[in-house]
Order: sequence, then structure tokens, then C-alpha cells
Amino acid sequence: MKRVYVSRDMASVALGADEVAHAFEAAGCEVVRTGSRGLFSIEPLVEVESEGKRIGFGPVGPADIAAVLDGSHEARLGDVAALPFFAGQQRFTFARCGVIDPLSLKDYAEHGGWRGLETARGMTPQAVVDAVKASGLRGRGGAGFPTGIKWQTVLDAVSDAKFIVCNADEGDSGTFADRMLVEGDPFCLIEGMAIAGHAVGASHGYIYIRSEYPFAIAAMREAIQLSAERTAPFTLEVRVGAGAYVCGEETALLESIEGKRGQVRAKPPLPALAGLFGRPTVINNLLSLAAVPFILAEGAKAYADVGFGRSRGTIPVQLAGNVKHGGLYEIGFGITLGELVNDIGGGTASGRPVRAVQVGGPLGAYFPPSMFDLPFDYEAFAQAGGLIGHAGITVFDDSVDMAHMARFAMEFCAVESCGKCTPCRIGSTRGVEVMDRIIAARDSATVVQAGRNWEGYLQKALNSRTPDRIDTGLEAQTALLRDLCDTMKHGSLCALGGFTPYPVLSALDHFPEDFGAKSPVKEAAE
Amino acid sequence: MSYTRETDHGTPPAISTGRSVTLTIDGDTVTMPEGTSIMRAASLTGCSIPKLCATDNVESFGSCRLCLVEVEGRNGYPASCTTPIAEGMVVRTQSERLKQLRRGVMELYISDHPLDCLTCPANGDCELQEQAGAVGLRDVRYGYDGATNMGQAKDRSNPYFDFDPSKCIVCSRCVRACDEVQGTFALTIEGRGFDSRVSPSQGRDFLSSECVSCGACVQACPTATLTEKKVVEIGTPDRAVVTTCAYCGVGCTFRAEMRGEELVRMVPWKDGKANHGHSCVKGRFAWGYAQHRDRILKPMIRASVDEPWREVSWEEAIAHTASEFRRIQAKYGTRSIGGITSSRCTNEETFLVQKLIRQGFGNNNVDTCARVCHSPTGYGLKTTFGTSAGTQDFDSVMQADVILVIGANPTDGHPVFASRMKKRLRQGAKLIVIDPRRIDLVKSPHVEASHHLPLRPGTNVAMLTALAHVIVTEKLYDEAFIRDRCDWDEFAEWADFVSEPQRSPEAVEPLTGVKATEVRAAARLYATGGNGAIYYGLGVTEHSQGSSTVMAIANLAMATGNIGREGVGVNPLRGQNNVQGACDMGSFPHEFSGYRHVSDDAVRGQFEQAWGVTLDAEPGLRIPNMLDAATDGTFKGIFIQGEDILQSDPNTHHVAAGLAAMECVVVQDLFLNETANYAHVFLPGSTFLEKDGTFTNAERRIQRVRRVMAPLNGHADWQIVQLVAQAMGLGWSYAHPSEIMDEIAALTPTFAGVHYDRLDAEGSLQWPANDAAPDGTPTMHIGGFVRGRGKFVVTDYVPTDEKTGPRFPLLLTTGRILSQYNVGAQTRRTANAAWHPEDRLEIHPNDAENRGISDGDWVSLKSRAGETSLRALITERVAPGVVYTTFHHPDTQANVITTDYSDWATNCPEYKVTAVQVMRSNGPSDWQRDYAEQARHSRRIAPLEAAE
Amino acid sequence: MSDENEVMSTEDRLIYMANQIARNVAALGEAEAVAMTADHIRAFWDPAMKQRIALLAAARPGALSPIAAAAVGRVVAL
Repeated sequence: MKRVYVSRDMASVALGADEVAHAFEAAGCEVVRTGSRGLFSIEPLVEVESEGKRIGFGPVGPADIAAVLDGSHEARLGDVAALPFFAGQQRFTFARCGVIDPLSLKDYAEHGGWRGLETARGMTPQAVVDAVKASGLRGRGGAGFPTGIKWQTVLDAVSDAKFIVCNADEGDSGTFADRMLVEGDPFCLIEGMAIAGHAVGASHGYIYIRSEYPFAIAAMREAIQLSAERTAPFTLEVRVGAGAYVCGEETALLESIEGKRGQVRAKPPLPALAGLFGRPTVINNLLSLAAVPFILAEGAKAYADVGFGRSRGTIPVQLAGNVKHGGLYEIGFGITLGELVNDIGGGTASGRPVRAVQVGGPLGAYFPPSMFDLPFDYEAFAQAGGLIGHAGITVFDDSVDMAHMARFAMEFCAVESCGKCTPCRIGSTRGVEVMDRIIAARDSATVVQAGRNWEGYLQKALNSRTPDRIDTGLEAQTALLRDLCDTMKHGSLCALGGFTPYPVLSALDHFPEDFGAKSPVKEAAE
Repeated sequence: MSYTRETDHGTPPAISTGRSVTLTIDGDTVTMPEGTSIMRAASLTGCSIPKLCATDNVESFGSCRLCLVEVEGRNGYPASCTTPIAEGMVVRTQSERLKQLRRGVMELYISDHPLDCLTCPANGDCELQEQAGAVGLRDVRYGYDGATNMGQAKDRSNPYFDFDPSKCIVCSRCVRACDEVQGTFALTIEGRGFDSRVSPSQGRDFLSSECVSCGACVQACPTATLTEKKVVEIGTPDRAVVTTCAYCGVGCTFRAEMRGEELVRMVPWKDGKANHGHSCVKGRFAWGYAQHRDRILKPMIRASVDEPWREVSWEEAIAHTASEFRRIQAKYGTRSIGGITSSRCTNEETFLVQKLIRQGFGNNNVDTCARVCHSPTGYGLKTTFGTSAGTQDFDSVMQADVILVIGANPTDGHPVFASRMKKRLRQGAKLIVIDPRRIDLVKSPHVEASHHLPLRPGTNVAMLTALAHVIVTEKLYDEAFIRDRCDWDEFAEWADFVSEPQRSPEAVEPLTGVKATEVRAAARLYATGGNGAIYYGLGVTEHSQGSSTVMAIANLAMATGNIGREGVGVNPLRGQNNVQGACDMGSFPHEFSGYRHVSDDAVRGQFEQAWGVTLDAEPGLRIPNMLDAATDGTFKGIFIQGEDILQSDPNTHHVAAGLAAMECVVVQDLFLNETANYAHVFLPGSTFLEKDGTFTNAERRIQRVRRVMAPLNGHADWQIVQLVAQAMGLGWSYAHPSEIMDEIAALTPTFAGVHYDRLDAEGSLQWPANDAAPDGTPTMHIGGFVRGRGKFVVTDYVPTDEKTGPRFPLLLTTGRILSQYNVGAQTRRTANAAWHPEDRLEIHPNDAENRGISDGDWVSLKSRAGETSLRALITERVAPGVVYTTFHHPDTQANVITTDYSDWATNCPEYKVTAVQVMRSNGPSDWQRDYAEQARHSRRIAPLEAAE
Repeated sequence: MSDENEVMSTEDRLIYMANQIARNVAALGEAEAVAMTADHIRAFWDPAMKQRIALLAAARPGALSPIAAAAVGRVVAL
């Protein structure tokens, strides 16, 4: 009986992987459902095992079974790992994803699973924390805070209970790494959390997954059950988010797990000291926790040897949007934006020129091709007015209207705002209105002049609320937009309001012509 | 005192760690306790940072983003409310950059706020307005054609305050105050983002929500969103006088905020040591009775109670009173008259009434309403500890680990203290409730009792002894404490007694109806759970074993070493505002002020010397004995100040008969109360707003009552007593209540250090305040008991003679509710009636079903003493076999039902246990109809003739 | 007392009160109980009540419990 591998990943299923798998079963094959390899242009991907090797075909439809089985299918890819898209990667975290049956403990162990946990359990908690520090691992959720230092704080805190919380509330558009890992290699996350538990003295963990990921939730729950014996006494449970983007913010996430309204907490106190239920809590992004088994298994040095500047190790970049080869690309820090978009992504799917890429989800900055030599590195991105965030890259071609994108950023913030802090609660709504005025002014042939010429001051004072008091001109509204972004960026309680100015200002700075400016705005970089 | 707003430091004081931190704020080096926020530290050094969501009675929240500051070496602009100070920190609270950011935030606020300041009730008293000025906002560039939350309908359902959502800035201060300060969790923020809105109980209006109208939200609101209706009606106040609430024994301090002579609102005072800026619906809002049209403002007399009242001059009324009392004494003897002091009046007034009786009447026939509430506390705690008062201050509860509430319903009876207790419970303290009813504390938002022991009414002593049995037999007692502080032999005797098998939880289970395992678990928790504090109320005292129960409680506290430090103790929750004070002032027939027996020659000698008369060395009559004597014809005249014994004392028929048998009943009160139906002289009283004096609350805290407005009736109560005394030939000449306090201090060792200038300077003093305790005594019995060694008293369980049987198969117990106060004379005359327009009979569904009673049906309630009718409320809060009602409404007259059984030691009536039958009925009973008619007849007034 | 009882007269009540005090201190043993009851009546009863209970004790033998009777005897003897 022939063994074939077909992905069960939600993205692959959306492209027809289930139908393909059923067809192979019907044809009498043994079908192993794996996670996704991470290149969507070849999904549904089928790998046929033959003489101990796996020969890939993709994309494949249910009608293609026979051709695949006899090796004649035109989409024959050969050894998938040898494809340029994969050959250039450094898969530390996603090494098993797409290769193994995600819910097979045997597969996991055979592919190097549990070695990190075994190593960790042979070490003192402090030694584990030291190893994570030495690896240079930084928070993959976007802030880039050194993971080892966070763990140290929790390890040093005295409490009757501590918790490990995994943030898998992957709400950024164009990001899917968390989902892919949970669906494709859930034991890796479990192992990482168990290591964290050992390192800081926590005996229970929560994995917070957004409700939009039903496959991931199911896979995670099953994996927790299957591996319970292995991780004991450390225990885990899945909590499902209720659909609010802001619950990806760590303190709002903690509130949500506690059963409260998903609203951001002011810091301090840091969650590391008073987090879930007031106890010291490690709250890390899924990708940070999933990087840990490698670090413990292969040593901190092996991880730290890869990277760029102060950004060490690998980053699973997610290419999305109008891009030819969308997918997950794990690589050491330092690769440039241009390499990712053009060389690996292959430019736009539409074939038109790339005009902008947004890095870091809906709150990330837009970059024009003129900045494509920017290396993937926390510090370099910050300096360029952007952020790496969850390492999602969304590509746009030259048909994009950047003023609309700026408006969208404000609208996104308005829709997702928890309503706690003023800059975000009111500012985002005002931002949409200001953008509407800018777009209207830009689109109208004549520039709207500010204020009718009322006779005398009294009339104005008496009508202080009349629209005429407001300068709706392009210049005034653009200045107001900048002021608003300043208020939101520096005044907001959390990153939702605080980061919304990134897409807005980067669009304004790099694409001033879309905002009706006659010439590029000077001092744009500020 | 001029009208100045209290300083708000933005965030609460840091929880003390004993360490301090030195930092620089705007160039000044300051040292503050560790954990203090930058905002508070700045405020304390006199530099105010703009803020809207921060207020210092709730935890910091960090939402308004106006309070951003710069901290050297830190990125961004941290919110000063949520950022604690750190050693060496360099903070800048003012800079061009900060100004810009704050203005940006304020511009957003104002872009969604109506600009109707000139017609806004909060004009001039609005933090948003003030902060907009402070940050220098001059323009709102967003215009006004965008999205807004304005134009939403006002919620005017609450009788005392309006909710105008258009003006809401979503700072959540109201929500947080409801959660953190009051602990009711009635408010929430509904919706998200721009649509976030404050909402009571998920979209209901305020009146029908879980809101208890404590006013914390109104107090917390920085805008006109939540505004007192009185402010809307009258305008903002222009002056304020700090005074003490005249409702319950918590003794909240308020700022009476005035506009001219008109009281605009009562606002809880942050520096009030009993309430720390919190209030309840009564003290905060229910003061309208003071101006109610029912108030009697002219003295009245009549020859017989069948006649209508005749308004007379003060001179005539006083002269008539004095001559009647002298006539009666001449005819029937010195001891044929007496008087009752009021727990609602000031210490000074109470002292004067008992002085009038002792010095002027020449006997000890003085009693007070504590007779019917906390007299067993006086007896029990004096016997065991040596002092007739609670052992702690209210703040002590914040150090308690296990709280035992027995026979008290603090969330209704003592709401402001209950909020503090709930705060401690939310912090993790454990709770044990011993009560026949499932009171709110048993389970309410974020509070749940570890053990509720729903005992059958009347079995307190058996229950407490069972707890003692467990503590002794399982050796959970604190031997070191007992050996150090008590008499070991007495303890051993008591321990033997409680250890007897018939007192075990298992043995008394059939009696109390409470599972033995629960009793054992509760006993272990109290004895071993850390600081154990007992709070009790009238469910302990108003029994035929009231004094035994108080002593049983004291025994438990001593046995476990839970006395003499913060966080522990035995705490009676006093009913009326000045019941502690009235007792302190010598209102009992056997005691002078400071609880010294009249037979003590040395003490009596002092008073004789001071007052220039010979005083009676024999105890006088208690209230029930006065009424007995009246019925028997030996007691003929009584002066009753601020007390409605006909409604509040048990067995109404007996009270009525006693009053009817007297020749001169003088009632001094605000209203023609029920007792006045039997009166011959009515002297109008003054409210707490109209006089100076002091009240003493349940924590022995003496606090000033200050005159806010002139007495509508022309005289403060103390002046009226003085007029009567002068007319009886006593040479009194007090010019001000402070002179009365000076006399009290001179004659009462525990009050020796109490003077008005100290009270004014320090806010309050807890007695004993004297040379031995110059700063007063927040916690009693530290290091040693007042009586020397704590006394263990063997408390045998002697069941009441009031027993259920075929005729009266159910047990009635009584209590009160949040919105009403005592006999309701005050609260019924306010909008509080909205919450409790009538007394209802709570009955278990099983008992109701057996009798064919549906919810809301009229039922007759009958005991061997009498019968009344009221409507039924079917609820599982009461156990099967138990019914419950309140006694706030005279047309119900619950005390027609209560019997003449009383506490063995003090005659405190057994209100809490009456065997009754409940049947369906068609409406009010004959008696109620007759009474209503008689009351109407008796209240007729013939106006004052020509003289005016 | 059964539930058939109506409200007490003043004299019945005085007797009831004396007996009630005696009952509640009876657990102390007879000697101490008599002393306690006597002390209690002495400290808290008005002279007319004391006089009247003494007269009642004489007029209604057996109405007072032994402890109460002994105590009343002691109060009046003073």
C-alpha cells in the first residue's frame, strides 16, 4: 500500500486538500495528514513515499490521483525540501511542520521531539533561564523584549502559584505562523511551555487561541491530551478568544482568560509579577515558546549563531497579500525586505509593480520599494519608523490607494478598540473622519477654503459649533492627522492605539501624493 | 467653613511596606512611601498633574491619558497614576511636549462632549471643564459633525440623581466606585470602542437595576453625567459644613453643602474616619425629612388625648410641662415620673435628659432605646471584658482574616461598613455567617461565605457553645493568650462545661437545624484561620438569651486569643446613630455616665457635688417596668425625647395601655409619631442639621455634629431640655453644647480628654480618651482587659418560653432593610419609599403553598400578643418554618405581634423569636383599621389663637 | 409555657423575671446562682420592684424557683 502525505492545515483544506486526501484513500492509499509545508502556491501538496523518499506533487486536484501515483503528473516537484523556497530557509521552529503527523507522539519523538524538555529537566531552573537568555531569543509577538529576562523576573517572583500563558490570538491580517504551528506541530508548543514551566516554577499553562481557528483549537486540545503524561506534572488548557483583536494584547488577554471584559490593564504591575489571577505569569507569543525546544535541544549557541545585530535566531516570516509565492519562510534575522518580497515572494501575484509592503500586520508601517534594502532586524525597523511585529508581510501593487489604507488603519483601530483609553477610543473614530476629509479634499477639484467670512467676531463666538469654524482644508486636516497620530502614539494605553499611527504616518510620509500633497512632504522621516 | 473642594491625590495611599523612596519631581527632591504613584507623590508635594480617570478612593486605571509625565531615562510618556515612584527617579510633570500631548487628548474629549457649560448643572464644579482649562485647550479642530455619543436620553429613574449619558467621558470612575468602594457591581461598560457606555445592570435603568443608591458613582463622576437632582434643581453649593450623619451607628462624616440657608446635598467626607468618603442611600440622600411638611414646629398641649392638639407658645408649653411633673410628683411620689433619652439626639442632649431626671426629677427612672437593642451588649461585654462597647475601630476589619457575622445584616443595616467588610472579603478574608436568613453577604458579587449556618431563631447560645465545644475539644484554643490574659481556672471551668457531649455540634443539630459538619468546619476556620473578628447585631441581643449570647461570643474571642489587637475583636454593630453615646451618657436607670453604678457612693458623691443635690442610690425603672408601673397606677408621667416607643417597643397593646394610664406624657420629636397619639404635651424637636453637639458611633468614636441651619422650631433640643429644667427650678445656663461636653468630661473618666477644640482639630476621638490614652483608643484591651483579667462566663442554653405549637407553628423574626431606618419616621418621609413602600412578610415557598398563599397576597400574622396584616413575599431567603418582616411602617405595626418575653439580664425584648400563624386574609386587620382611625383622631391640631 | 398563654400581668411578670434570671445562672451551681441572682436583682431592679417581689414570694409560695426564692430572700433581708 502506498503511503501519501497530504496537509490537514486549514489553508490547504481551503484549497481542496480534504478532497485530494479522500481520493487517495479511495484509491487504496495510506494517507498521512501532516501540517503544511508553508508554500501555498503548491497546495494542495501531495508527497508520495517511495523507497524511503518523499516525492512532492502540487498543486494537485482529486482528479489527478492516477497521474500522481504513476509519477506522470506535470506538477511533480521532486524533493520538496530541495525547492528553492525551502532550501534557503533555516527551519529551527518549523522543522517538523509539514513533515510529520502532528498528532503522532511517535513521529514527534522520532523527529527530535522532547529532547529540549529532557535537557531542561536535567538542568536547574536558573540554568534553563540562562540558556534562553544566552540564545538571544526576543519576544516574537512584536515588542522584541528579551524572553530570558522576562522569565528571570517570573523565576525570581515569590508566589503560591505561577502561570505560563501562550498568546496564540493571532489576529493580524496576513499572519498565520501560529496557526500553522499549532495545526502542524502542536507538541512543539507544548514542549516549549513545559520547559517554561520548569524554568520559572509554574505548574499550569493556558494557550489562548482565537475562535477563528477551529482546526488549531481541536488539534491543540487533542495534543494536550495525548502528551499529558509526558509533560506532567505540568498541565495545560486551551482558552478560546471571543473575537476581539485587542485580546491579543497581553493584559487584555489575561483579563479575558480570567473571564472578564477584554480590556487592557495599565502596567505596572508587569504580568511577570502580577499577571493571571494576580500571580507571576510568563506570557509569551506562541513563536517565542515554540523556539525554546530547539534552544534547549541544540544549545543556546546554535540558536544565537544565526541572526543579525541584536536580533538573534530565526524569524518565521509570513508572506501574504498580492504576492506570487505566499507562505511561511523561516530564516535568520538580517535578510532584507527586498529579498523577501522579490526574490522569495517572486513579486506581486498580479504581475504589476510592487508599490508598498506592510510589515507587522494592520498596525505595521508601509514601506516603498525604495526602502527594500532594509534588513529584518528589530532595531533597523524601529529606526526606519516601522516594526517587525509578528513578521507578517503584506504586499500591494501599484493600484493601491495609500490614503484609503491610512483610513483603513484608523477604521481598524476604531472597530477593535476596547474603549478604555481616550486616544484610541475617540481618536480612531476622529482619525477616520479626518481621513475622509482629506480624501474628499484630495478628490475635489477645488480646495475647500476654511471658514466663510463672517461679519465680526461675535457671530463666530455665538456659533462656536458651526462647521465654518473648522478648517477642512487639506493642509489643516493633514496637520491635524499628524497631531492626532502623535496623541495616539504617545498617549495610548496599549499598542492598538499606539501603533495605529505607524501605517497612517508611513503612508503619509512615503506616499504623500495619495494624500493630495503636490510635492513630497519634507521632513517626512520624523 | 467656605466651600472648597477636597484635595484629590488621584490614587489611594500605598500599602505600607515600611520603606520609602526618594525621587525628584520638577526639580524638588521628595521622599515618599514605596508604592506611591507618581501622581500622588506629585500631588502631595503640591504639584498637580492633570487627570480625569484618577481619583484617590479607587485604584488607578490609566485610561484618560491626561496625566502623562516624562521620566528621565525612560521611553515614552508614562501615565503618572499607574507608575509607582522609584529610587532616584527624575520626573517632569510639565513640559511643552506634555502640554501638547495633554491638549491633544483633551481635544478628543471635547470633540465628543456637549458645550452647554453655561446651562450645565456641573458648571463650575466639573473636572472636565477644569482640566480643559488647565491644559489650555482653545480649539477643537475635529469639528462637530462627526460621530458623537451625545443626544442620548437621560435616565431620571432614580429619585435622587440623574444619569445623562451625553456628558459621559467613559472614565469608568462610577463603575470602579461601584465595584471597589461600594462592592455592589451594579454598573458596567457596555459596548466597545467609541460605543463604550456606562450602563446599570445590563441595560436597565438605575431604579430597577441592582444599584443601591449609595451615591459612590455620583461622587466619583467628574462631569454632570451623574448629578444629584438637588444640584440640578438648586445649583452648585457655595459653602460646606462638616457634620455627622444621623442615621445608623456607623457614624459617617458628611459635608453638608449649602447654598445660602438651603441644603443642596450631603457629600461623604473623605477625612471621615468611619466612612472614608463613602456613604449609603440614607445618609447621602434621605435627609429631606428635615424639611418635610409633616414636621411639627410649634409646641402643643392638650388636657386629654381625646382632644385635638392646641398650639401654644414655648413659654406656655414649658411651664405646663414643669407644673404637670411637679404636680404628679406631689401627688404620687418622687418616683412616679421618669424619662427616656434618645439615641438619635446628641451626647450632650442625652446627658441633659438624664441629668434632668436624676437632678430634677430626683430619681433614676431614665432609660433609653438601647433597652430594646443593645442593652445585652452593655451587660455582656462589661461582665466579660469590663467595658460596654465594641473592641475595635472599623478599619480593623481590613486586617481580619476570618470574619464571623452573627445576627447582623450589615449590607442593609450598616451599609458603609459592609462595603469595607466586602472589600476585605474580596481581598481573600474568609466569612462565616450565622443567621436564620440567607442575608446578602452569604452570596453576592465576588463575596461568598465559606460557611452559612442557618440556625433556627432562638438557638444562638446552643450554636456558639457548639463552636466552643469544637475549639476546646479539638484543642484549637490559644493557651498562651488565656494564661496571660484571663483566669485559667475560670477558663477550665468553662472548658469543662462546653466540652460536655450534650453541647457538641452533633448533639445540638436537631435543635439548631444546622449540620454538625458545617459547625465543626466553621469553628476550625474561626480558631485557626488567622485574625478572627466577630461582628454581631440585634440578631444576637434581641433574644431572651441576648446577654448570654454576647458573653458566649466574648468567650469564643478570648479562647482563641482574638482580642486586643487590630483585625480581631468583638464588634457590636450599633443600630442608631448615637446608641453608643446614649449608653455612655448614663441613660440606663442603674448607671451614671461612663457605666458607673448609681450605688457607688464615690461616683454618686461626685455628681451630687457637681449638681448640688442628693441623688437616688437605687436603680430606677426600665422602660417595660415603667409601663408596668403605669398600668398598675404608680407611674404617672414621662418625658420622651426622640423615641417612638409605641411603634418600636414590643407588644404594642401593652405599651398603649401603659401610656394611656399616665397623666402627663411629654413627647419631643420631629413628627407626631405614634407615641404622640397618647401624649399631652408635644415639644417640637430639631434635626441634626439644626444643632451643635456630638454623636458616638459603634467604634466609640466621638464626632462633631455641626449646625448647618437655624432650627426650624426655634430651639435646638438641648435648649428645650434646658428650658424644662429651668422651669423646674434647676439653675442650668449652658450657652453652647461644648459647655455640656466639658461637664461630661469632668464627670466621666473615659471622656476626660474630650473637648470640642480637640474634636474640631482632630476630627474625632475614640473613648477612652484621657490621660492614660491621650489620643483615644482605637483598639481596646491591648495588653490587658479593662476589668483586669478577661472573664469566661458559663453560658447555659436556656431555651425561650416562646415556642411554636399547633396554634402558632411558625417562628417570626424581624429586621430592617437598606432604604428604611428603624420605625421609618425619617426615611418614610423621603423618596426612599420608592424602594420599600410597605413591610412584607417573607415566607418560604413550602409554608406559603401549605397555606394557599401566593406572592403579594394579603396575609394575617397572628401571635399570642396580637394580630396584623401585611402582604406576603415568597422567598427562599428564609428557611421553612421561619417568617420574617421589617418594622418600618406604622400601618403594619409588626410589634403588635411581638411578645413581652425579653432578655433575662436586661429585659431587651425578644423581637427575633415570636411564634406565629400566617393565614390568607382580605386586607388590613380590624385593629389596623381602628388604629388608623384613632391615630387620625389623635393628630388633630387646633391652630394657635390670635397671639401670633 | 404553652402557646395558649396570653400576655402576663405585672405580678406574673416580676415572678417570671426573677425565675428567668435564676434559670440562666443555674449552671453555675446553686450557691453561686443564688448569689448571682440576688446581685442581679439588687443592681438592676427599682426599689418598688424589689419590695413587690418580696411580697409576692411570701404570698405565692412555690411561684419562685428555689434559687430565685433564696435570692429574693437575700435581697430583702438586706
